[in-house]
Amino acid sequence: MDNRSNWHRIAYAALIVIVVLTGMLVSNAYHLQLLTFIGINTLLALGLNMLMGYAGQISLGHAAFYGIGAYTTAILTVHYAISPWLALPAAILIAMAIAYIVGVPTLKLSGYYLGMGTLGFGMIVHILFREWSGVTGGASGFIGIPPLELGPVSFSSGRNYFYLVWAIVLLSLIICRRIIDSRLGRGLRSIHDGEKAARAVGVNTGKLKLQVFVLSAAFSALAGFLYAHLVYFISPGTFDFITSIRIVTMVVIGGMASIWGALLGASLLTLLPEWLHSFSEFEMVVYGLILMSVMIFLPQGLTRGLMDIYERSKRQPDR
Amino acid sequence: MSDRRDSRTGSRPLLELEAVSKSFGGVHAVRGVSFQLTPESITGLIGPNGAGKTTLFNLITGLFPANSGRMIYEGETTHKVCIHELVRRGISRTFQNVELFESMSVLENILVGQHSRTRCGMWGSIFRFPWVLREEQQARRNALALLEFVGLEDYAAQKSSDLPFGWQRLLELARALAARPKLLLLDEPAAGLNIVETTQLGELIKKIREQGVTILLVEHDMSLTMTVSDKIIVLDQGVKIAEGPPREVQRDEAVVKAYLGTTG
Ligand SMILES: Nc1ncnc2c1ncn2[C@@H]1O[C@H](COP(=O)(O)OP(=O)(O)O)[C@@H](O)[C@H]1O
Ligand SMILES: [Mg+2]
Repeated sequence: MDNRSNWHRIAYAALIVIVVLTGMLVSNAYHLQLLTFIGINTLLALGLNMLMGYAGQISLGHAAFYGIGAYTTAILTVHYAISPWLALPAAILIAMAIAYIVGVPTLKLSGYYLGMGTLGFGMIVHILFREWSGVTGGASGFIGIPPLELGPVSFSSGRNYFYLVWAIVLLSLIICRRIIDSRLGRGLRSIHDGEKAARAVGVNTGKLKLQVFVLSAAFSALAGFLYAHLVYFISPGTFDFITSIRIVTMVVIGGMASIWGALLGASLLTLLPEWLHSFSEFEMVVYGLILMSVMIFLPQGLTRGLMDIYERSKRQPDR
Repeated sequence: MSDRRDSRTGSRPLLELEAVSKSFGGVHAVRGVSFQLTPESITGLIGPNGAGKTTLFNLITGLFPANSGRMIYEGETTHKVCIHELVRRGISRTFQNVELFESMSVLENILVGQHSRTRCGMWGSIFRFPWVLREEQQARRNALALLEFVGLEDYAAQKSSDLPFGWQRLLELARALAARPKLLLLDEPAAGLNIVETTQLGELIKKIREQGVTILLVEHDMSLTMTVSDKIIVLDQGVKIAEGPPREVQRDEAVVKAYLGTTG
């Protein structure tokens, strides 16, 4: 137990060092933006991992909450000229309220049915973004979202935004870690291990599932907010079914039930398309092959897989 | 209330079943079963496979509702009461096929067992208020004490699925105790245990009762059931066919025919 929290402290410190060094060394704006995207995707994967990896409940519609976060801040800051810092809590609270309303009936389902239910929800929200053009700008999107500013600090520079996003990522990792290590987190994990036994020991499984669903929606909306103020332009295509699947993939590839898995999965899935450009028309084939290989050779995901390899290599010299 | 009092001890029964029935499709798993559990007693529930014993456990613990009949726990009906609420009120159980939380350590299993006795929620876990840390420390102390009670204190950090089967049964027992039950239902706790382990289990069951816990025990090991139980209830094809002290039930003709005869 203590060993594990030490390990996490070292990992937090390493992450801070890496972020600061990267921020100092990388000056190419495109690269900085790519690294910022990794942070945003980490938030998405982290939120879904709480639901999928820890509580064992699937959602194929999480892009909806990502979009709700982005559109809420876009609408409030552009149409109503509200400060983004007020739009932020609004975006998160609206996503949480919608998650609550959707979660009450949907989370009664399980397995495939829950997948279908959340998939349907994601599609409805995507259609709303596209068709409700008076409010959302329709298929052509929403332009003119303002950059973030905090007193004298402007986050319109790529480097500042990079630091902002990664500071939020670090905070979110710590929050999730704390939840997982608590009574609440143990309750969530017990649902994953066996819902019948969890109920029998007194875990209010319905309430916990709903809580973690709402929590993961909050992280997705936060990611959506950060996305909108990073690119200043949003369109429905960013929040479609494919995005929901991509978030699920990040969780699975990175490693379920691991906060660092969210980070690894998000990094891989964000960077892979960049590295694969040289394969031009074979890009998607190589992409698919890499994902398949990870699942075949490291079925527990990157985090567990790499840790197992490390532990094996440590043990070898003794023999 | 006086009609509800047990004639021998004069105290109110902890649990009372009145004509409880449950069927699955065409299968009548439990048919009009009535009985009372005296506080701090050990009651053996026996019957051939498929007699409806586990179904009865599932009904009492609220895993699913009965089709008809009434269940009264501590003088109140349990109809439509959520499971976690029943656990909080003191009904706890183990499963016939051990159901541990396999991804968790031995200690964590017991910590989850205290879920109904602890309070920390979302904000508490994020901000780690002083009361949360105190609660967590207390929960760990309780967990270690329970592990010591069943003799697993040296394995607290092990993954629960790595324990040998007999120990998994003990761990599940300790997890059930973690909720500090008043009524403990044990579903074939000795299945898969060797003779030594079964004897130890018998001692544990008696100790648990001495701490004031009422126990309902489903068990095929007759020597265990007959020695620890104050009373035996016999089920056959969902129907209660006998009830009484172990010696009488063993001599009951219907029981011999339905149960003891068939299992040899
Ligand atoms: N969840 C269920 N769904 C359908 N049938 C069930 C279910 N649980 C038990 N049964 C049936 O009810 C009867 C009693 O089973 P059970 O209570 O497990 O018996 P016992 O524990 O005495 O061996 C059996 O015929 C069994 O097949
Ligand atoms: Mg059974």
